[in-house]
Amino acid sequence: MRIGRTGHGIRSVVQQTVKGKRHMSQGKYNVILDTLPKTESRLEVLFRQGGDGFIQVEYGREQRAALQDSFRMLAVNDIIHAKKIKGLIETVPGLRTNLLHFDPTVVDVPTLIAEVKDAEESMPSVDDVVLSSRLIHLPLAFEDSETKRAVEKYVKEVRPDAPNVIDGYNLEYIALCNGVSVREAKDMFLGTEWFNSGGGFWPGGAFLWPVDPRCALVVPKYNPPRTWTPEGAAGIGGPCVFTYTTPTGGGYQLFGRTAPTFQFSMKHPIFKDGPFLYRPADRVRFHEVDEDEVLWVHEHVHKETDYEYRIEEGKIVVKDYLAWLDTDEVREGIKEQNARREEGVQKAPRL
Amino acid sequence: MLKVINGGIETLVEDWPGRLGYLGKGMAPSGAFDNVGLGFANLLVGNPAGEAGLEVTGGFFQGEFLTDSVIAVTGTDMKPSINGSPIPMWESVAVKKGDVIAFSHIGEFGFRCYLGIAGGIDLPPYLGSKSTCIFGSYGGFDGRKLQPGDEVKFAAPRGKLKDLVGRKLKKEAIPEYSREWVLRAIPGTNTSPDYATEEGMDYLFSHTFRIQHTSNRSAYRLEELPEGFFARLDGGVGGSHPSNILDHAYAMRGALNICGNTPVLLIADGPTLGGYMCALSVINADLWKVGQGTPGRDFIRFRVCSQDEAVQARLDRKNLFTEDALV
Repeated sequence: MRIGRTGHGIRSVVQQTVKGKRHMSQGKYNVILDTLPKTESRLEVLFRQGGDGFIQVEYGREQRAALQDSFRMLAVNDIIHAKKIKGLIETVPGLRTNLLHFDPTVVDVPTLIAEVKDAEESMPSVDDVVLSSRLIHLPLAFEDSETKRAVEKYVKEVRPDAPNVIDGYNLEYIALCNGVSVREAKDMFLGTEWFNSGGGFWPGGAFLWPVDPRCALVVPKYNPPRTWTPEGAAGIGGPCVFTYTTPTGGGYQLFGRTAPTFQFSMKHPIFKDGPFLYRPADRVRFHEVDEDEVLWVHEHVHKETDYEYRIEEGKIVVKDYLAWLDTDEVREGIKEQNARREEGVQKAPRL
Repeated sequence: MLKVINGGIETLVEDWPGRLGYLGKGMAPSGAFDNVGLGFANLLVGNPAGEAGLEVTGGFFQGEFLTDSVIAVTGTDMKPSINGSPIPMWESVAVKKGDVIAFSHIGEFGFRCYLGIAGGIDLPPYLGSKSTCIFGSYGGFDGRKLQPGDEVKFAAPRGKLKDLVGRKLKKEAIPEYSREWVLRAIPGTNTSPDYATEEGMDYLFSHTFRIQHTSNRSAYRLEELPEGFFARLDGGVGGSHPSNILDHAYAMRGALNICGNTPVLLIADGPTLGGYMCALSVINADLWKVGQGTPGRDFIRFRVCSQDEAVQARLDRKNLFTEDALV
């Protein structure tokens, strides 16, 4: 079945669309309610209608995954929250979009857009973009018995010939995809802070991105997914690290196990205001421990409730970050790692 | 208190508006799938409209009252009975300790019925709501559907039981049920010209979609879209399919996710973020109709709605649950 006039194929439709793109404010189904122009410190801002109680604030028209966009958006997000706008129920940041969830019987759309514009305009230059960001230190045991059990179960019950399982685990595959050794892959997990661009996929979950792009690892997800993953499992899918908040299925390649980052019962003092550890803009740094220590931590979070999470207050100065990204050392490092990955991708089996 | 004899297909504790404010933490609002049905059940037994009640999906629920109470059944007609004798719907009924309530299967129209109990259900709210998120196994009654042997406690009624008996909804106040549910919707966040073709959007707003068998409290799946819907050839860095997009938050509840070629309505327990485009959102005031849509049997059609109409519809719904609606 085909839509539209006879012989009106996809190709001609696409061409029409590309032409129409320059006049985005027109059209029967235009959902862009308002815009803010691109400036030196930010991309164009689009306000997209998303239902009677939702507006999506989008940054730029290009689907790009760049950490600095997230830094800026979350800094604006903090300002929006500080305004305590009546009727705004919550904001849900993604990587390049922020969803405003509101009660339209309390606050109307123009008011809400004006408030967000005001927050945007309060950071006119890149010097103004400073983001509050906590640093959470988490213990990590590579290739522990629990996550190994999850991989074993997968091979036994889901995909016996899984090419991403080498020597009963996923670490070798992660390394292979990125053209590095297993030890080097481990050092990359340990060698950078991992930035939380926001949650939303699973209760308490966070999407963690490498702050140091030289430590970026990219891997395909399981195909098909696992049916079980233990709580605390640390995995990577695409460019993002995820620490499993509850036992569940999942598709990320597993590399180890860390502390609990979620607690339904809210018994441990860190969870007294909610079952979640992560907040948007948090950074995580992993340090390597042995498996017994991770087991001890789980015991002392859930049973004894006396484990002390190490969390430091901090900030990200976006201007400094961009300057650091632009140093020869970092640029060279990124180039080298990209070259290794390109080679690795050729050799790694497809899933 | 009510002791469950048979949990039926799926019987859950739900309230309204559910668990709001946790989308960014990966927690759906959940809540009564048909909030109008729950609202009337509560009105009839003297509760605030959003109080928790039992949502009976599909049918066959049975339970024994361990205390005297006043109840009301609304929603699809599952031929509710007490000790084998039929009881009327859309009005409050007294029950005695030892009475057994039983439901048959779904009626000619609708898919869910609601059991309101004077005082509501006595459960501690979890993150601000008594609703069950069946998908995430939390909230409500141990985060799950009711099973034989469960004892569901009632809170204290707001008034004397005898004063709450015989409250009856006016005939014209009973919501109209259908096999083809017309849902008012607002286009967005991803439409024509940049994500879909205008012809594609026209199709979405004119076709009558059958609700697929695979639908549940997280997602109502509709028929596949025809060729020519997408304006893009692929999803760029978001993925290879033109429905892919870099992960963004979903306007939950009500967003129509385009998942590959399949339109999927995200409702109640649905995902709160992901990598598929969303073409429209059902307005909040029409969400209840989705809950009464019967998978495999009923149809859904979308009608374009303005923001003003949607806000007015929310206000009108709020005004439904007043004494004026009663005979």
